Amino acid sequence: MNSIAYWESIMNDTAAPDTAAPNMAASNMDALVGALLYSCSEHVLETMFFAPVLDEVDPAASIGSTRVASRLHFQGKPSGDFEIDADPVVARALAAAFLGIDDCEVTDAQIDEVMAEFCNMTCGSALSSLGRVQYFSLEAPQTSRPSEFTPEVTGVRRGFLLEGGTLSVCLRVDFDRG
Amino acid sequence: MTLALQILIVDDSPAMRTFIRRVVRLSGIEVDHYFEAENGAEALEQLAVNRVDAVLTDINMPVMDGEEFVRRMRANEATQTTPVIVISTDATTNRIHTMQGLGAMGYLEKPFGPERLRNELDRVLGVNHE
Repeated sequence: MNSIAYWESIMNDTAAPDTAAPNMAASNMDALVGALLYSCSEHVLETMFFAPVLDEVDPAASIGSTRVASRLHFQGKPSGDFEIDADPVVARALAAAFLGIDDCEVTDAQIDEVMAEFCNMTCGSALSSLGRVQYFSLEAPQTSRPSEFTPEVTGVRRGFLLEGGTLSVCLRVDFDRG
Repeated sequence: MTLALQILIVDDSPAMRTFIRRVVRLSGIEVDHYFEAENGAEALEQLAVNRVDAVLTDINMPVMDGEEFVRRMRANEATQTTPVIVISTDATTNRIHTMQGLGAMGYLEKPFGPERLRNELDRVLGVNHE
């Protein structure tokens, strides 16, 4: 996919006033961001974490359960927020794979650090592929372990089934703010 | 041609430094010694006392970021020609051009695997495979 040309065509469509179908344009944008987000997340998981995606799942299924979550804000043109949440078992497995050690050797601090890295990499990868992104600066991710997870970012969300459980990602991009 | 390199890894994340060491090992590149630094300032201290064949550096770091680090490396006669590869999540054209303009010889966008790292290191070190 030629991301720049593809996105520019969509951006031009959504920028032009279309009183007849404003919701359709926004819906198209969400679908495209979702597809890009899925693709980038899968690529990061497989390349850096050696974790193949087994299936796509409903990201809302993780709400209310115990998760390891990481969230960051990014500034620039555009600005926005990015959030991930994962089953604790998945988070531990990803940390072990990233560090090249056994699951039982991984500390909670290492899990938090690696999840922050995943958050950082996936957000950066998605923004770099988005097109119409002039520049961005990622703030340091904040990782938490809620016993009843509630999303803090409202945006385009995707869920993945990995070995051991699920992981979700969510991206909100504010194109109108500089 | 087999090179046993001395590589400096500059990143504020211990986990990422561990990952980079792993990926370098998986790539088949022979490394004699790894030096590590958490930021550009520490990296400059390492460069002042150690022979380094290649630098792999992040951009966003506290104390001294990757941009300032590369700028100061190039301003120092002793490190002017030391190969530098930037490793970053930011692959926007603006960022890449900025780092290349400052003197980075290579750019590796995350995510990356052993093959891409090997190719980039070979390229900046001028290693040919026949």
